[in-house]
Amino acid sequence: MPAAKWLVIAKNRYRTATSSIRSIRPYFLPLVIGLLAIYVVFIAPAVVTPLIDDFTAFIITRAAVPMVQIILFMFFFYLILIPVTDTLREVQTSQLEILVRAPLKPSDVLLGEFLGAIPFYAIAITLIIGTFTALLNPLGLDIIQNAIIIITFVTILLSALWIGTVIAAILRTKLGKTVRGKDVGRALSVLLALPMIAVGYAIYGGGLLTALTSSETSGMLRAVLSVLPSSWGAEIFVSFASNPGNVAAVGHETLTRLGGLIVFFAATLWLGTKAANRAYSLETVTFIAPKARPDGYFYKTIGYLGGGGSSGRLLVSIFKDYGRRLENLSWILYVAVLLAMLRIFISDPVTKPEDALILLSAFGIPFLGAFVVGTVSRGRETVFLYKKAPFGIGKFVKARLLQSWLVAAPIAAALTVISTITVPQITLASLLVNTLLGLLRTLASVVLVLGLALINPIFTEESRERNLGIVINLVVVLFATIGLEIGSTRLGLSFGKILPDLNQFTVLLCDHLLLTAFFSLIGITLLYLGTRKLSGIE
Amino acid sequence: MKVVIQTEKLSKYYGKGGEIKAVDELDLEVYEGETFGLLGPNGAGKTTTVRLLNCIIKPTSGTALVNGHDILKDETEVKRVTGLLAESPGLYEKLSAKEFLEFIGALYDVPKNVLSERIDDLLNLFGLHDRRNDLLEGYSRGMKQKVLIAAALIHDPPILFFDEPTSNLDPAAALVVKDLLRKLADTAGKTIFICSHILPIVEELCDRIGIINGGKLIAVGTVKEIIAKTKTKTLEEAFIAMTGGIDEKELLAWREHRGASG
Repeated sequence: MPAAKWLVIAKNRYRTATSSIRSIRPYFLPLVIGLLAIYVVFIAPAVVTPLIDDFTAFIITRAAVPMVQIILFMFFFYLILIPVTDTLREVQTSQLEILVRAPLKPSDVLLGEFLGAIPFYAIAITLIIGTFTALLNPLGLDIIQNAIIIITFVTILLSALWIGTVIAAILRTKLGKTVRGKDVGRALSVLLALPMIAVGYAIYGGGLLTALTSSETSGMLRAVLSVLPSSWGAEIFVSFASNPGNVAAVGHETLTRLGGLIVFFAATLWLGTKAANRAYSLETVTFIAPKARPDGYFYKTIGYLGGGGSSGRLLVSIFKDYGRRLENLSWILYVAVLLAMLRIFISDPVTKPEDALILLSAFGIPFLGAFVVGTVSRGRETVFLYKKAPFGIGKFVKARLLQSWLVAAPIAAALTVISTITVPQITLASLLVNTLLGLLRTLASVVLVLGLALINPIFTEESRERNLGIVINLVVVLFATIGLEIGSTRLGLSFGKILPDLNQFTVLLCDHLLLTAFFSLIGITLLYLGTRKLSGIE
Repeated sequence: MKVVIQTEKLSKYYGKGGEIKAVDELDLEVYEGETFGLLGPNGAGKTTTVRLLNCIIKPTSGTALVNGHDILKDETEVKRVTGLLAESPGLYEKLSAKEFLEFIGALYDVPKNVLSERIDDLLNLFGLHDRRNDLLEGYSRGMKQKVLIAAALIHDPPILFFDEPTSNLDPAAALVVKDLLRKLADTAGKTIFICSHILPIVEELCDRIGIINGGKLIAVGTVKEIIAKTKTKTLEEAFIAMTGGIDEKELLAWREHRGASG
């Protein structure tokens, strides 16, 4: 009898995912199970020991239920997002054709893809459950309570993964049919992380927990949280923690909530298999190719800024290639939203007005530089186009630098203005100086990042590899920025020491300009070395 | 002769109101054991036809019978009796050739004892046996094409669809594929449906050909019949006569407009 199709697909998914460790594949699962057992039995209890007293005191307070609800909601939401972002990052439909033309049901494909990924998600699930049970066990929970907690966790997390798998499959089919759709997918994969970051910031500095425990403000929030299946699980945990070793005391509530969770999981499974037909279709949705509009004033201005003539046209071409990719624009949006969230939840414009500017200078500008520059080019072949042309690499680097400056400068100016005007009693002069300094630092940051990107060029279209390159450059720029700031402070490098008669404002301005100049010098050196590297590439 | 592929006003339209006619009321018959070639310029509807006949997409109207199975009603059976080498096929690059063929074999229910022997035989045939455990990501385009042809054959279906079978292949590998297709048709009695731009291959291998343009089938017959019909000397001339080409004097017109010279 032939093997069930979902099993064939699950095995294939597992094989694909473990291809990089093929030589140890037979030992992989036992090894992982062994390591997880060590974590659950020994490491997790040891790690949580210092927290036990605080946790025991906390779990019986009013804040416990909303806190556990939020933690479980974050796990729930995160496990939905993992398969979705993973798929959106690289929307691939070419493999789908293999499955669509084979004699099998779409629900087999969906179930197979889900089960094939489970061994890896099981690692995360076990780590989460192991940590939670290690926290709850010292309270004196009996074996039935422990078993119910494990079942609850597994049901919640598997439901989330299944929902994520179904959404990912549908999105892949919807977006994977056109180049535009794939671009939308990549852009969404960048932006989908923001809600999770927002919840984290809201807990850390936004008073979300206080709002949830306050009877005056939490009505709406509590109502929203209570309808989420993850919250039913949270209620089970907290009720067990309040009644350790006495499952009968909360038997009815437990049965209702656990039953609700199991029904929810079964319903999502059923609905998912029904949605599978939509998830595995290769019907073309559109035959209308994206069209380029004739150049308007914007591109004419860009061409003029690029020096007109062939240099201007080259800059316009590079600008178009950049601007027509939603993924690039999503990174800019990501930086802006991240800074806005830091401003809203973390920094306080009244008590610490300088926080916003520090955040912008230390984090915002390096992020902006790294994400605007991105990688050198989308393909090695593109670089060879320039290598073939006379003085091509020089023209290319110049155009990329101008393009990155032209994108980053207005955003940096806007972010600096917004960060500055929220500071109480700010003067127009300070606003202008701050904006100018922000601009100069951004331009220097872009030079540095472009130099780094040229030294370690990444040509792939694969998002994961490209994003890794961007993150590496970002980390380097962040360290350079923070390192230079701290280093200059530690060494006491300041114009105030050389010219003691200068007022404090001028000293700060000069110090800042000196740092920017130093930053630029490193950037220009890297840019020179990077250009040479690119010229020699084969 | 038994008809194994029969389309009845098979149509696939796209866009609002179906203004883009990818395949338009296609009536076609392909006989058992025949090698049939579908020719047409880019965007003529060749790949859409193959996708329709393999139940990858659904027709807007009309239907087709493949080995007696209706593409609208017996989707699974149609998929079982056909093998397909697609124009832009997907591969699991993180699998080795052997693992990939094992996977495809399992999808088509090839018994385990037959499967491993068949994989070895096919990989030997294409000269890939020594590299069977290499990941596909390390294969050249030609080698990948060979693996995909092996995948199309793995369940030994009676009807085979090949969309550009020799693209990406070096002359030696292209010869192997041509000989293989000939053998499959002549000795194993398979019905072969080829889509290709490479006219000599179609001319050499196909018993009959069809020419499709703008979704419409504009000619069907043997190569000789098509040439005779267009009163030309070669298949290339016949193809251009039917689908249109560029006037020789237009070839360098782009230079003259700008006053370029020698």
